[in-house]
Amino acid sequence: MSEKRKYKKRFCKYCEQKVDFIDYKDVSSLKYSLSERFKIMPRRLTGNCKRHQDMVTISIKQSRAAALIPYTVSRKVIAGAPFDER
Amino acid sequence: MRHYENLVIVKPTLTEEEIKNTLAIVEEFITSNGGEIIARDPMGMKKLAYPIEKNARGYFYVIYYKIAPSAISEIERRFRINEEILRFVTMKYDTKREIKAWNDMVEKTKKVAPTAPAAVVAEKTEEVAS
Repeated sequence: MSEKRKYKKRFCKYCEQKVDFIDYKDVSSLKYSLSERFKIMPRRLTGNCKRHQDMVTISIKQSRAAALIPYTVSRKVIAGAPFDER
Repeated sequence: MRHYENLVIVKPTLTEEEIKNTLAIVEEFITSNGGEIIARDPMGMKKLAYPIEKNARGYFYVIYYKIAPSAISEIERRFRINEEILRFVTMKYDTKREIKAWNDMVEKTKKVAPTAPAAVVAEKTEEVAS
């Protein structure tokens, strides 16, 4: 294993908390599965299980439609935090 | 009767009164079609994640209600006609697990704001102005 692992293999965070349903309005719970450019993180990096990854992807797409999470972030915006007030 | 939830984003350029009026109209859409509003959750004036019709901000309002499934298309049609509404998201809560989550969310709104929706609207908009 010469290649250094960037992310540690983790257990599913949502399984640990026994999450049954992920609300699309609760942005803070979705943030864990988003990259800094608001892409959906793959399962191999976050360690989510298949069941919860499916739930997370659906609710991320819902909250994108509701303008709570951006679809894409341009280079100008990424300098400042997009969740800042005003 | 099925469990539904609607998120409505109202234009930020309107005054307090106009926002209150449009929300009353929105609730009238639901009740006139035989719906039963269970809870309301005003999320207040928020920054949008991306501009919609050149607006950077919007007034978020969530309504939890029960209605027959056939009435939803009529409600959505009226939402599209209304020009004060920037965006709406309709969610269906169908399975046992989803209905449980729906009940939890309704109870959460009742804990936070037991007062009338109109009073809450006034408070939130004042915060933004100051």
